[in-house]
Amino acid sequence: MTALKKRLMFALLYDGGSFMLSRNFRLQRVGDIEWLERNYNFRETALSIDELVILNVERERGSMDGFLAHVKRLNDDCFVPITAGGGVRSVDDARVLLRSGADKVAINTALWSDPPLVAELASEFGRQCLVASVDVRSTAAGHRAVVANGTEELPMPAAEWLSRVAEMPIGEIFLTSVDRDGTGQGFDEAVLGLVPHDLPVPLIIAGGAGKAEHFVAPLVRGDVGAACTAHLFNFVGQSLATSRAHLRASGVDLVEWNPDLLRGLAGSV
Amino acid sequence: MTVPVVIVDYGMGNLFSVASALRYLGADPSISSDPEVVARAPHTILPGVGSFRLAMERLRAGALDDAMRSAIAAGGRLLGICLGMQLLGASSTEDGASDGLGFVPNVVSRFDDSDGLKVPHVGFNEVAVTERTGLFADLPEPAHFYFVHSYRMEEGSLSFPRATCDYGGRFLAAFDAGQVGGTQFHPEKSQSDGLTVLRNFLRA
Repeated sequence: MTALKKRLMFALLYDGGSFMLSRNFRLQRVGDIEWLERNYNFRETALSIDELVILNVERERGSMDGFLAHVKRLNDDCFVPITAGGGVRSVDDARVLLRSGADKVAINTALWSDPPLVAELASEFGRQCLVASVDVRSTAAGHRAVVANGTEELPMPAAEWLSRVAEMPIGEIFLTSVDRDGTGQGFDEAVLGLVPHDLPVPLIIAGGAGKAEHFVAPLVRGDVGAACTAHLFNFVGQSLATSRAHLRASGVDLVEWNPDLLRGLAGSV
Repeated sequence: MTVPVVIVDYGMGNLFSVASALRYLGADPSISSDPEVVARAPHTILPGVGSFRLAMERLRAGALDDAMRSAIAAGGRLLGICLGMQLLGASSTEDGASDGLGFVPNVVSRFDDSDGLKVPHVGFNEVAVTERTGLFADLPEPAHFYFVHSYRMEEGSLSFPRATCDYGGRFLAAFDAGQVGGTQFHPEKSQSDGLTVLRNFLRA
């Protein structure tokens, strides 16, 4: 028996100083961090989630400095774990993310292009620190995993890739449905069916959340530990707080946080 | 007057999250790898993520193990977080057997996943505390904290206030041995319950 709680996660997609809305992995610029603060008041929003994901989705590889500065700033505003990633190609890339406030590092393309790096990262930071991000879309040949921001399709069925990733020294799998990404149509049950039944690590599902009810179906399943949305418009303002209350009322085992207590602790020593 | 806290930097761990949580509480954190600074610190936090063996090697190489002992001998308080708590124990089975700092006699071993338990243990879990004093003052019942780890400290038989968590069996989630305490969970990442523990550490 375990009392391990389910997790409601929020993902921010970063590109060149802006936060992005993604639909089927096509990106649209939404606003900068000031916009985010105005519309989300991040310190308040963070009281409604269990984990924050910040992904650098820049297609051109440049300096990480801007991204790191944003990770640091967001870290000051939330007391939940942060997973950061996007373009991690070396142990040093991971280290600077972890030294900028990230607790865990997401890796996606490198799982395919550089498996030895995965082993190196695990030995340096521990496998619990690695979130293996797998993007899956449906094709004429069935579900396939894609890497490099969805631009490169792997030459094997997605289920086979997920089984291989499950064998790697990683801590969690973050599974995104490209077909549902940003559509608000709900999570992709078909994609959940591709995951090995005896997956030895926790599973996070992403792609498709449009309203609070959408989180219920995956989160009441025994094999899903967390569900994530990156939809800045559907969950703007107080919407995450409302969603959280709705999920708890619907029987999803989330922790009930105490925002007043947290506010009261500010400057208390 | 703000409380000065030194966060030990030995190349492993999320130093900035701990620092920002301490700043939120109103403390004055600094990050240091200088053993002379650590040895004089009234409040020291030992964070840590990664391999137990590597962490011990780096602490010894930087003379930070002795510096923490000196700080405690001088009346200071030490809080180990995550791997930092494990390092306060006697030994760990990670990467073969390695000796820890030995502040508590407990040993660290991997979760048993033979029954299909998902390892690492990731997420918020319930924690039961023996007494709501010291580090555990004012915590709600139950309290929830964020864990992310594959190894854990075995419960052993401790006489001071402590907390346990159940994940495929009970393990030690936190202890408060007076000057030395530890949390397997991340108080800096556990919303109001976590910040309550950090505040308790700074108040003592």
